[in-house]
Amino acid sequence: MATVTFEGATRFYPKTERAAVNGLDLEVRDGELLVLVGPSGCGKTTTLRMLAGLEHVDEGAILIDGKDVINLAPRDRDIAMVFQNYALYPHMNVAQNMGFALRMAGVPKLEIERRVRAAAVILDLEEYLERKPRQLSGGQRQRVAMGRAIVREPRVFLMDEPLSNLDAQLRVATRAEIAALQRNLAVTTLYVTHDQVEAMTMGDRVAVMKDGFLQQCDTPRTLYENPTNAFVAGFIGSPAMNLLEGTIEPGGVRIGATVVPVANGLHKAVGKSVIAGLRPESLALAAAGTGIPATVRIVEELGAEAFVHASLVGADAVPQKPSNIIARVEPRAAPGKGELVHFQVKEGSMLFFDAASGERLR
Amino acid sequence: MALNQRHLMRVVGLAVLLIVTAFFVVPMIWLFLAPTKTDGQLLTESPFAFGSLSTLFHTFHRIITYGDDSLVIWLKNSAIYSFGGTALAIVAAIPAGYGLALTHFIGRRALLSITLVVMIMPATALVLPLFLEINKLGLYGTIWSLILPFGFFPFGVYLTYIYFSSTIPKDLLAAARIDGAGEWNVFRYIALPLARPIVALVGFFAFVASWNNFFLPFVMTYDNSQYPLQIGLQQLIGSTASFNPANYSAGSSIVVLHRPDLAMAVIIAVAPVLIVFLFAQRALVSGMLAGATKE
Repeated sequence: MATVTFEGATRFYPKTERAAVNGLDLEVRDGELLVLVGPSGCGKTTTLRMLAGLEHVDEGAILIDGKDVINLAPRDRDIAMVFQNYALYPHMNVAQNMGFALRMAGVPKLEIERRVRAAAVILDLEEYLERKPRQLSGGQRQRVAMGRAIVREPRVFLMDEPLSNLDAQLRVATRAEIAALQRNLAVTTLYVTHDQVEAMTMGDRVAVMKDGFLQQCDTPRTLYENPTNAFVAGFIGSPAMNLLEGTIEPGGVRIGATVVPVANGLHKAVGKSVIAGLRPESLALAAAGTGIPATVRIVEELGAEAFVHASLVGADAVPQKPSNIIARVEPRAAPGKGELVHFQVKEGSMLFFDAASGERLR
Repeated sequence: MALNQRHLMRVVGLAVLLIVTAFFVVPMIWLFLAPTKTDGQLLTESPFAFGSLSTLFHTFHRIITYGDDSLVIWLKNSAIYSFGGTALAIVAAIPAGYGLALTHFIGRRALLSITLVVMIMPATALVLPLFLEINKLGLYGTIWSLILPFGFFPFGVYLTYIYFSSTIPKDLLAAARIDGAGEWNVFRYIALPLARPIVALVGFFAFVASWNNFFLPFVMTYDNSQYPLQIGLQQLIGSTASFNPANYSAGSSIVVLHRPDLAMAVIIAVAPVLIVFLFAQRALVSGMLAGATKE
C-alpha cells in the first residue's frame, strides 16, 4: 500500500542532448493501476526503471509514500518488477525463482514455502513448482514472473510490457487476469505498454507520454473523449481518430472541398488553420450532396461493425494535407470499393486542435 | 563429365584429409605403442607393431621406480602446483572478469587494456621479474613461488569478461537487485551459477598452463624434491642412453633409461590433463541460460 509521486523527474542518457524523461510530474494513487503508454522511445520504460532504481535520476525527485527514494538502492525500495522478457533465473526452478526475494530477505524456509505455494495457487502454477524456466511455455513463464512479484507483497508493482511476448489470444486472456489480480491485491501498480488497447482496458488511469514528456494522465474515458492535444487524440482509440487539416470560415470549418458547420466559439477565428478531430464513430453515411464527399478505398468487415477507409474528394488540391478518413458504419449498409460516399458529422462530436502546436482548442 | 569431375574432387578432398590426419595421428600411435617394445624392437620392428604386455609392464615399473620414485614425486609436485594455481586463477579471474564486464568504475578501460597486453606478452618474459619478486618475498623454492603467479591469469580474466558482457542478460541481474540481492549476492546466486561453463573453461586452461609450464618452475625450483613433471622429463632425457651415448657406455652399472621408458613417462605426464579435461568437459555444457528471458 503506497503512493508514488514523480516530481519533475528527469533523466538524460549519457552523450545525448534530449532528456529521455523530461520533468515528469505524476502521481500514482494508493492501490491504483496506472498505465504508462506511448510509442517507442517516449520514455515510459525509463520512467519505470527510474522508479525501480535501475536508472539514475538526474533532476527532480521520486517519492514512495512521501519519502524520496532516488538515493536508495533497488533492494531498499520494496518494489517488485515484472520484466518484458521475464528475466527468470534459469538455474532455479519455479519455486526457487518465486522465493528468491524472500530468501534474500532472510525469511524462514517454511514461511517461504508457504507463501510460494499460496502464490502458485493464485497463478495456477502448483504443478510446475519443480520445473526449470526452460521447461515452461511462454504463458507459464509470464505467470512465474508475476508470481515472483506477488510473493514479495511489495509496496509497488512495476510491470514493463509483461504481455508483449505472448501471442494475441493469450495476451487478451492474461490482460484480464493481471487486471483482476491487481484489483484483488490492491497493490499500487505502474504498468508500461506501447499498446493503447492494453492501456485502455487495464488502467484505472492512463498516462500518455511522447518524447519524454507527459502528455495527459486521466481515466481511459476522459482520454478518449477529451484529449488535451492532437497526439493523445490520435494515439488513443482504434482505429485512430481522423485528424484532418482545415481552415475556419464564416460558416464553419473547411475540410477539403466541404465546409462543416461548427457549434462552438471557433467560428469567430476566421482564417485560422486547425486540425479537426473526428472519431470513426462520429461519422455517418449521408445522402448524396450533403456532408463530406469521399471515395471508398477499402472496407474492413469486422462482423458487428465495418470500417470504411476513404479518400476525401477535393482534398488533392492541397496534397500535403491528410486526405484519408476512416468511418465506422453498419456492416449491412457498407458501401463498395470505389464508390463515392458522403459523411455527415454527428453534432458536437468534432474536436479542434491548433494546427501549429497540436493543443486542443475549446 | 560434370559428375565424374565432382567424384574426382571428392576423392582428392578425402585423400588430403586422410594424409593430414595420418600426419598427426601416426606420431601418437607410435608414442602409445613405444612402451610395449624394447629399445631394440623400437628400431627394428614396424612402427605400428605391438610389442608385448609384459614389456609394457616392465617399462612402467622401471620408469615409476627410477631414481627413488622420482616420477611419483614429480607427479605429486605437479599436481600441487597445478591444482593450487588453478584454484587461485579461478578465484581471481572470474570475479575480475565479472567486474570488468558488468560494473562501471574509473580505470576500467585501462585495466582491460592492460589485461589484453599481458595476455599477448609471452609468459616467459615475466619469469625473471617474477623470480626477483618471489625471491624478495622469501618464497623462492616454496610451492607459493609456482602458485602465486597464477593469481593473475589474464587469459581467464578476458575470457570471463567476454562471457559476462555477451551472455548474461542485464535484466537478470537487475531482477536480482530488485529482489533484494546486494552486489555480492547477485554475483554469488545469479552470475556465478550461470558462469559454470566459463569457470570450467578457465579452470581447464589454467590447469594446462600450469601443468605444462616449464620455464617458471625451471627458475623457481632447485631440488629434485621440488621439481614438477616438466622439469623431471628434462632430467629423464638426460638419463636416456640413446640421447647421451658418451655418458652411458655399454656395460656401465648405472641404471639407464631407454626410449620406451621415456615414451611411458610422457604418457604418464599427459594423462592427468586428459582426466581434468574430461571433468571440465562435463561442466562445459551449453544452454545454461535457456529459458531465462524471451527475446
